[in-house]
Amino acid sequence: MSTANPSQNRSFHLPRISFASVGSNGMLIIYAIIVLLPLFIVVTNTMRPTREIYRVPVALPASINFDSYVIAWNEADFSTYFMNSLVITLSSVVLGTSVSALAAYILGRYNFPGGRILSSFFVAGLTLPFRLAIVPLFLLLNSLGLIDNRLGLILVYAATGIPFSVFILSSFFRQLPQELTEAARIDGAQEFTIFGRVMLPLVRPALATVAIFQFVPLWNDFFFPLVLLRSTDKWTLPVGMTRFFGEFQTDWSTLFAGLVITTLPLIILFLSATEQIITGLTAGVRK
Amino acid sequence: MKSRTRFAATSLLAVLLLALVGSLALAQDEVTLTVWSWRTEDEDAYNEIFDVYEAANPGVTVEFVPFVATDYNNILATGLTGEGGPDVAQLRAYGGVQALIEAGQLLPLDGEVDLSGFTDAILKGATGREDGHVYGVPFGVQALGAFYNVGIFEELGLSEPETWDEFIAALDTIAGAGYIAIGNPALDSWMLPILHDAVAAPRYGGPEFEAAVLAGETDFTDENYVASIAVLQDLQPYLPPDVTGVAYNDARTLFISGLSPIFIGGSFEIGFWKSEAPDIEVGMFMVPPPPDSLTGPLVPSWMDGSYGVNALTEHPEEAKALVEWMGSVEFGQMFTDKINQLSPVAGTEPTDPLLAEFATAMMENPAAYMLLVDFRYGDPTGTNILGPEIQRLFLGETTPEEIADALQTGIAQWFTPAEAE
Amino acid sequence: MTALPNANPDAKPRRTWRKNAMMPSVPTIALFILPAFVLYTVFMVYPLVQALIFSTFEFNGLVRGDFVGLQNFQQLFSRYPLNEQLPRAFGHNVAFFLGTMAIQNTAGLLFAVLLHKPRLGKRFFRTVFTMPYLISPIVVGYLWRLMLNPLFGPINNTLKSIGLSDLAKPWLGDPATALPTVILVNAWMWVGFPMLLFGAGLAGIEEDLREAARIDGASNWGIFQHIEFPLLTPVIGIVTVLTFIGNFNAFGVVWSLAGVDGPPAGATDVLGLVFYRTAFDGGSDAFGLASALAVLMFLFIFTVSVGVQTWFRRLEDRMQ
Repeated sequence: MSTANPSQNRSFHLPRISFASVGSNGMLIIYAIIVLLPLFIVVTNTMRPTREIYRVPVALPASINFDSYVIAWNEADFSTYFMNSLVITLSSVVLGTSVSALAAYILGRYNFPGGRILSSFFVAGLTLPFRLAIVPLFLLLNSLGLIDNRLGLILVYAATGIPFSVFILSSFFRQLPQELTEAARIDGAQEFTIFGRVMLPLVRPALATVAIFQFVPLWNDFFFPLVLLRSTDKWTLPVGMTRFFGEFQTDWSTLFAGLVITTLPLIILFLSATEQIITGLTAGVRK
Repeated sequence: MKSRTRFAATSLLAVLLLALVGSLALAQDEVTLTVWSWRTEDEDAYNEIFDVYEAANPGVTVEFVPFVATDYNNILATGLTGEGGPDVAQLRAYGGVQALIEAGQLLPLDGEVDLSGFTDAILKGATGREDGHVYGVPFGVQALGAFYNVGIFEELGLSEPETWDEFIAALDTIAGAGYIAIGNPALDSWMLPILHDAVAAPRYGGPEFEAAVLAGETDFTDENYVASIAVLQDLQPYLPPDVTGVAYNDARTLFISGLSPIFIGGSFEIGFWKSEAPDIEVGMFMVPPPPDSLTGPLVPSWMDGSYGVNALTEHPEEAKALVEWMGSVEFGQMFTDKINQLSPVAGTEPTDPLLAEFATAMMENPAAYMLLVDFRYGDPTGTNILGPEIQRLFLGETTPEEIADALQTGIAQWFTPAEAE
Repeated sequence: MTALPNANPDAKPRRTWRKNAMMPSVPTIALFILPAFVLYTVFMVYPLVQALIFSTFEFNGLVRGDFVGLQNFQQLFSRYPLNEQLPRAFGHNVAFFLGTMAIQNTAGLLFAVLLHKPRLGKRFFRTVFTMPYLISPIVVGYLWRLMLNPLFGPINNTLKSIGLSDLAKPWLGDPATALPTVILVNAWMWVGFPMLLFGAGLAGIEEDLREAARIDGASNWGIFQHIEFPLLTPVIGIVTVLTFIGNFNAFGVVWSLAGVDGPPAGATDVLGLVFYRTAFDGGSDAFGLASALAVLMFLFIFTVSVGVQTWFRRLEDRMQ
């Protein structure tokens, strides 16, 4: 089994199945179950009424139905939240990744006076407790007239992605072979051309990674929009979900349906992007 | 002469009032008032209630926006600071509202709106500790007691216990029948001071002890207070096994799934029992006073919160009119009917029988849930110390004496008894 | 993936080419750096600096009062029970970090190694192991509270039904198991992260190297020990720094799994929770106090992560 073997059945008859390969497969399968079981509970509980979930928290649904999804989508206005989430998260990720790639390129490729300090300056942001800045940030956006404004949230989100992106991207750029730039430079290419034509395509997998890792926490964040947005028609999916959390009573059924609706796009995105990252990586290395 | 002056004054007042009403009517052209709240579960009920107000006040639209309770304080603090905040906001009670008052973010309401429907004890929860002004119109009251599953009690031949011995005997019977006698949680620490006060307030003496502590005549290291904490040790065998691993939601599941017939908690649970366990008949009793109690049974209660007006609102008059209405019997009655909580407005009657039982018990055996009512005005709060300390008690890591010391040490850092002031 | 381009083992030492490289002009450098710099400075650094300033003022709610110097800092270490909670929470954060390194990152590396080889279901496993990371931490906490429930949770029920009642613990309710449980659930959520990073690192290692070693008679373990692991050093550095930062800022999962005061009896209390309680559940002066705590946390996390980063970079240089 340790070779890519399409005819799985044959391996059962092979005398040389190693103990290690059985063990490793067993381990992977067991861990997959540990991951999927709680997620399975989420999905089954979307098909059970909240009253039942409170009474018997873990059980199979009486019937396969999608009522709670309909309720979440319609009554809780999830269609609006979905569009808001999409616009806000995408804009933030694109903005954050673009400016980070530019800065990371210079910081990663060149040793110039102050470069080290600038790098540390950017990376310092990684160490900030996410919630700490909320009050000063609120006061700042308030003075800029950006409260209850999607642009305000996008700018904040893009900024929060910069430390991580610069951190990762600059180490990528740093490690690209130098002959590439030299070849480009002999051609007389300008810095921007080198960056855009030569370097950027080479770090595409890194860009995808950085974008994904920005995308996920932003897509799931409810704290910043709760404080920085006011009108319900600007709310995002996670904020919408918080409405199912009561002080003493939570609408689990609808909440779980909302969760599935919220998470599904992430899973699809991740599925496609991981492959892109992995194939991009392997292709990039074996030139 | 005298009467003529009075006539003149009255007519002048009438003219002024008319002018005021006129300008109000003008301003009232299509006003939207935003009301913020931490009660997401009450959204439908509040929308119905405000429909009534809108019908009676043409031109005013009330928009109810609930936020997730755990982040509400933060959302409100920023919301009252900048633009786009609410006109009217649901406010925490007692110590929980002081920061907003001291920051000048709320409009004082005494003398501005009619608060005659409330007692001073109720208004205390919406009053600024420094300046003595009232900043909110109280909306709810909570009381503590024991809920029980009537079906299981009947099955075991039990009735509501009236003495501590009867209570213990009932618990033994229940446990003997294979149930968890008291299905209370201890993983969520906030439920523990509630359990303590619901069970043991008579042991330390309730209101008399409260007054003595406030006056500086005694403190929490008092032997009676220590003994009241020890009562929880006596009850621990009847709580779920590994109680410190049982969460609040798990505990309610124990109750509504019939695994445990008793849940000691607050009247705010009634809405939950009604909506999630409509088939279970739920009764309530006051926990009988433990041995050596200084008083009879007590029902500790507190004002749950109020509605106040944002100092930055663009519609102060309309907002005040709305909160004034929220102090009316009309609002209070709808509140208790639809939300299944007690209204503090004099003249309201709880229609839910269980809620009515709480109301009667509370009226006849009044006490304040003192750690919440009196000891949330500084940091650390009384409940924030007692909760984790009781967890340690259940884990066998501490003693009632040490807990009392910890509570006293924490509170003494900011609390000065009246005598010493 | 970070390590990937460097995968080439005979990559030239970096230092030398940098010196030879033609330096772009200052305006070009500025043009590249400025957009990120401005965005980052305005929306992240400025609020932080504000918080730093705030930490030296007295606060009434969100309204700033008098300058009080270091009084807020002094309060952090003198006010009971904060003065006891802070060192305890710090200790828990250290344990959290070490436990996560030992469990989550080791498991991540193991999965990466196992999934690096061509194998049936590779793509499936890789996706599944990463899925928990995609779910909101609040729900992760709720789910695991349910799974670990001592009374009717599936985990204890299963243990009891297969005759392992002794192992059916009140996982989150016992101070001895609560923090390890939190570490495990947190690892459950995040393990895909190191797995992907290590996976990309492994993918970047030239197959020729492994082949050569294999021809020399090296075992799989030998190849891992002497070739793969050393070449993963840069990834290990990145994973370590990110784990450190993530653990010392940990909040979401702990909060939703255990609770706001780290039950039972503070056994799962971490700095993130102490900060949250101080900021949003404290008295009127909470904001100044919370700012002071945030400043201390920031300084500590920043200093250590820069230190760790530098150390790893030196290690890499030495190896090349």
